[in-house]
Amino acid sequence: MTTNTARDADANGLRQTAGGHGTSVVLDNLSRSFGATRALDGLSIEIAPGELVALLGPSGCGKTTALRILAGFETADTGSVLVDGRDISSVPAARRDMGMVFQSYSLFPNMNALDNVGFGLRMRKTGTAERRKKAGELLDMVGLAPQASQYPHQLSGGQQQRVALARALAIEPRVLLLDEPLSALDAKVRLQLREQIRTLQQRLGTTTLFVTHDQEEALSMADRVGVMRQGRLEQIAAPDELYDHPATAFVAEFVGVMNRLPGRMQGGGMVTVLDSTVPVMRQGSDASEADLAGDVDVLVRPEGLTMQVIENGNGIVTYKTFLGSVTRVGILLSGDVTVQVDKASSEAAALAPGTSVSVALPPEPVLVAPRP
Amino acid sequence: MAAVAETQVVKAPRRAARQRAEQPAIWRWVVLLLAGVFFLVPLIVAFRFAGIKAFGAVISQSGFASSLGLSVRLAVVTTVITIVLMLPTAVYVHLRLPGLRRLMEGITILPIVIPPVVLIVGVLQIAPGSLKGTPYLLALEYVVLAMPFAYRAIDAGLRALDLKTIVEASSSLGAGGTTTLLRVVLPNLTTAVLSAVVLTVALVLGEYTMASLALFQTFPVWIYVNSQYSGQISVAASLLSLFVTWLFLMAITVAGTRRSRRKGGGAVTLFTATRQETRGNL
Repeated sequence: MTTNTARDADANGLRQTAGGHGTSVVLDNLSRSFGATRALDGLSIEIAPGELVALLGPSGCGKTTALRILAGFETADTGSVLVDGRDISSVPAARRDMGMVFQSYSLFPNMNALDNVGFGLRMRKTGTAERRKKAGELLDMVGLAPQASQYPHQLSGGQQQRVALARALAIEPRVLLLDEPLSALDAKVRLQLREQIRTLQQRLGTTTLFVTHDQEEALSMADRVGVMRQGRLEQIAAPDELYDHPATAFVAEFVGVMNRLPGRMQGGGMVTVLDSTVPVMRQGSDASEADLAGDVDVLVRPEGLTMQVIENGNGIVTYKTFLGSVTRVGILLSGDVTVQVDKASSEAAALAPGTSVSVALPPEPVLVAPRP
Repeated sequence: MAAVAETQVVKAPRRAARQRAEQPAIWRWVVLLLAGVFFLVPLIVAFRFAGIKAFGAVISQSGFASSLGLSVRLAVVTTVITIVLMLPTAVYVHLRLPGLRRLMEGITILPIVIPPVVLIVGVLQIAPGSLKGTPYLLALEYVVLAMPFAYRAIDAGLRALDLKTIVEASSSLGAGGTTTLLRVVLPNLTTAVLSAVVLTVALVLGEYTMASLALFQTFPVWIYVNSQYSGQISVAASLLSLFVTWLFLMAITVAGTRRSRRKGGGAVTLFTATRQETRGNL
């Protein structure tokens, strides 16, 4: 498990200045089956006080189940959940002090925004005046003070999720749980809310578990991202670490775009690909040495390949996708392999489909996966 | 100048749209008129046959007040039992046994296909002895009869609600089961529950077969019995009961709709609890 100590220290600092609360969370060896489906298979994660950990993975990988077990809506078959060192497995959801924001709009339709935010305080028997004051402050914090007396149906999707966030934070939760809170929103709102959630979370120093299938969301918001697959944690690391040094081929291909190029192992930790021999990156858990002999796939990111226009090169440009400052160029190599190469848009303008190019690999360590 | 040109451009398509909207409006009125004639002509004819004097006579007729009173009491008892039974059942099925929803729909429709006599015998078999011989036995039978309508009304309300999510949200905020049910679930089902009430009341106030088989003089039975002595008075009584029932249902509907509209819900109608769509993103 990789812990980014610099980030943790940072989060701690913020929490202290905000006068917040530092709650640590440990999910220890959680397993959960639904009938024949194994949703969680020995999942262990430690979340430091004030940290935002994102669980990322394809649908059905168990990330939501993990969050729901922490919330108290599901129970684990085996394993335990520790909050501040105390096993809370037997504590019902209502007494766990966890604020949750759901994927679908979860505001109570019969209450206006202010009463929605104040509901948790009401359950805690906070007096009316104090409750309204606090709920008002929280609405103000998410920028919705003018909408206090509006009912959920009068609010847009993004506004509803902001009220839901304020409602979850109103109870000063020990842990904030976010279950794909942005996936029902359109792109622009999603981006704004993403930043707002992160800013608030850092300001309050609330330990947060965030579940998403959107890698961009996870990478941009989290202190650490845990990539899950089939109920297990493949890797948990800081976003840059995850992107640059994926532990397994699955992580490499799930996070960001990855090219697969045919290569051949040479022994001594070297692999030949595209007529050059480069060192192999130290491998994670999912491939044993035996699998990695002979013909293999070499994994390279689009920005990890270089390309030059040249007569009779080793590839032909087939398509271009404009992504703003860079353009992703699709190139057909011999052997019916298509790779994507990123090129500055200004340079890519001249590359018409059919142009002959030469694709090469700089001599840097690469990730290798068994040929499927 | 530019502004003038712009408003003209905007106005032209609007006028076209208005014309397009007006055309079906004419047909709407035609249909409404035809339906009005179909429903109102018999009422007017009945009214003319009965004469004004008959209405005064109805009220002084023996048995009028007692039979109407019995029907209203039965309506109240039936409605209370129906809601108390159906509401928690429907909520529980939606929340914990969603797989059984289709089965529940099938079961609750049975009273419509089973002949009334069978239902009466069935209820008699299980009814407590103290109830037998009292008209409140009828209430139990009406509960069975009202079940298909009441369950469907409540079911429709629950479908319009993301029940699982709001229950979980409530519980994560610290509310226990009962608090969640009373503060979160029930207030969002008022429209649906009122629909169920309207349907149940309408059913009880108009039911004849069972009451007459069980030899109780409810209001519909009284009307029938009296029609054998004086046609005019019984027709006047029918019209009166129609009007009273209609007033009653309108009162529930209007009150319920006003209440639910305030909270963003839909209109209370006899068969569905509609819900306004939430606005899209942003």
